[in-house]
Amino acid sequence: MTGVGVLSRADLGVRSRARWAGWLFALPALVMYAVFELYPIITAVQYSFFDWDGINVSKPVGLANYTRVFTEPQLLASIVHSFILIIFFTFLPVLLGLVVASIVREIRSKWAGGAARTLMFLPQIIPGAASAIAWTWMYSPGGAVNQLLRALGLDALTRAWLGDFTWALPAVGIIGTWLATGLCTLLLMAGIGKIDGSLYEAASLDGANRYHQFRAITLPGLRQEIGVCVTITIIAALASFDVVFMSTQGGPGYSTQVPGVQVYQLAFTENRIGQSSALAVVLSLIVLAVILPIQRLFREK
Amino acid sequence: MQHAGHRSRPTRRSVVVALGALTVAGAAGCSAPGPAASDAAAADATPTTVSTSVGSQPVALRLYDGQGLKAVDDALIAAFTKKHPTVTITPTYDPDNVTTQNQPRQLASATPPDLVRVISVTAGTKNNLLTNLDAYATAYGWDKLPASQLAQFRAKDGVAGSGSLYAKASGFTMTGLYYNKKLAQQVGMTAPPRTVDELAGYMDRAKAAGLTGMVVANKEGGGVFPFQLLVNSAMGPENVSKWVFNAPGATINTPEAVAAAKTVQGWNSAGLFPASVNALDATAADALFASGKGLFFPWGNWDAANLDKTMPGQVGFFPMPPATAGGQVAAMSDAATAFGIPSKSENKDAAAAFLDFLSSDEARQIAVDNGFMPSGLSSQTAPTIKSGSVLGDVTKAFGEVSAAGGQVPFVQNATAGISNRAWTPESQLLFEGSSTPEQFLTSVQTKYDEELKR
Repeated sequence: MTGVGVLSRADLGVRSRARWAGWLFALPALVMYAVFELYPIITAVQYSFFDWDGINVSKPVGLANYTRVFTEPQLLASIVHSFILIIFFTFLPVLLGLVVASIVREIRSKWAGGAARTLMFLPQIIPGAASAIAWTWMYSPGGAVNQLLRALGLDALTRAWLGDFTWALPAVGIIGTWLATGLCTLLLMAGIGKIDGSLYEAASLDGANRYHQFRAITLPGLRQEIGVCVTITIIAALASFDVVFMSTQGGPGYSTQVPGVQVYQLAFTENRIGQSSALAVVLSLIVLAVILPIQRLFREK
Repeated sequence: MQHAGHRSRPTRRSVVVALGALTVAGAAGCSAPGPAASDAAAADATPTTVSTSVGSQPVALRLYDGQGLKAVDDALIAAFTKKHPTVTITPTYDPDNVTTQNQPRQLASATPPDLVRVISVTAGTKNNLLTNLDAYATAYGWDKLPASQLAQFRAKDGVAGSGSLYAKASGFTMTGLYYNKKLAQQVGMTAPPRTVDELAGYMDRAKAAGLTGMVVANKEGGGVFPFQLLVNSAMGPENVSKWVFNAPGATINTPEAVAAAKTVQGWNSAGLFPASVNALDATAADALFASGKGLFFPWGNWDAANLDKTMPGQVGFFPMPPATAGGQVAAMSDAATAFGIPSKSENKDAAAAFLDFLSSDEARQIAVDNGFMPSGLSSQTAPTIKSGSVLGDVTKAFGEVSAAGGQVPFVQNATAGISNRAWTPESQLLFEGSSTPEQFLTSVQTKYDEELKR
């Protein structure tokens, strides 16, 4: 609890009244939140203690659904996959975003900046499911990716990317990179614009090269924006569903299976609502366990 | 900045409180989800006094099916209501990929449609949601139909395959091997092969000529097709059916199935399947076969109209040959739509009249016109098929298989999750060579037992 000053009793009275007025304004949103967010979460937790097919009489089973989550062999693998996806959904987009944002800052041309922003953001406005389908075509044996490789004389590298046990997961990850880079670039460009230009001038007068400027000015200046990017994209990686579902459905074999797709399959193809809810609850807890320390890490000192 | 950072951050205490609240809400459990145990068997699920008349009063029926069956259902409805002007039928169609999810909800609804696509007979009978049609079968004489046309829709004590009747089909699907006539000539195939070895011999020759022996697409589990075509004959239609119908103690992990898996894996590693078999989907397989570079294509009647269009007159069809000449011929063949009557329906007599109509001459012609195999007796007038259509071959093969009692349901339909959670990924591992035929079948059987809680 840092930064909270000592308040007088009178201050507290005024503030608490103001706080109640605030709640009133927030009420419509809170009602929506309670009905469409809190209630489903609470029922999911409740369902996870039952054996229920979604329609007929349910049977309380205690913690059995949770025990299964941790004993089913494919599940651990699918959680590992979602962590591997962090490389593609988070690290690569943030890295690319930083590079693009720094370059655009250097160019200082309104036109180039606008063009870059638009181009980079385009993937973000295409639904993940649609882009997954487009990428499926590009990854197909005769698709754009293999055509490009053949044109470069790299015939040996061509393969059916999404049908390859080794390459399917990275291939799916690249779709995520393509989707997330725009968002990260946009956020980082906005952040870089707020950094005082005179800092860069002063640094270059002191003889700092581009790399030094990047390390000493850009990176610390973008701390919060990077935090936001990392948070959003890690959640997207761990809870990924649309891209994987539309491109591979978890295959070939189990090589791209992720918890998000399993939650769906358990609930809607197998009608195992309780088991699905238990997995969803575990997935949420994993996301929280990863995100909370990251929030701490990126908090401004 | 500083301030904003603080406000947006959830404090440790608030998180703990929120999690605590959720846990309490969940554990204390307001009331159990789902209906109370008592109101399950309220409706009349086994009518004893039935009428074969639709009556003279206007009756409004509702029908539920998948979008893919719209053409055939609409034609059937039009023909039926023309015959019975007092009856109107309002159809509702869901996209095919969600009928599996929605059908149980349709059945369980307080006011269900009167005619419902039945995907799992056992799921429908478990809670008395489906009407027992035995009384209607006797009244209409459905018992005279070939046994294999009704067996799939019978159930007793929660096991399908025999017992009381719960649905009737609007037509059947049929699976086997399409072949490219020109390439068949090229590899010296003058008549459909009579044994699996003969079939494999032609594939070898096709491979030697730089062609694909068998167009298999396994991204969505199409690779299970050649496997099951082998297993149907090797294990026998009855044993495979028992497994699909979840008969107690049924297993797919048999020496015959292991041998079939070994054969299919061998064909793939010998290069008789397309190189990227695990990345190809059904559309890609269609394209590959239409390109004229594939000899055989294990697929079903649903593709006949498409093949007539893309390769007119160039395609033939034959049922999967048995291991030895003259052995059991069999094929995966289930209902186009198996229509059942929810027990809560209030117009059962009129709905049953529609079920009876499904095996009439008129309905048989409608089924064939839409690419399905006709239900009904072989003594009935044969529906006419457009000359030059591959559907002629398919219907001929269906007659052969049906007469041999070889209609088998798809192994992918054994449980709701078995296709997604076992057959597709496990067959991909098998084709990749990452698992042995023994592991393949052990894994599938384990998932099957798990899902059925055995």
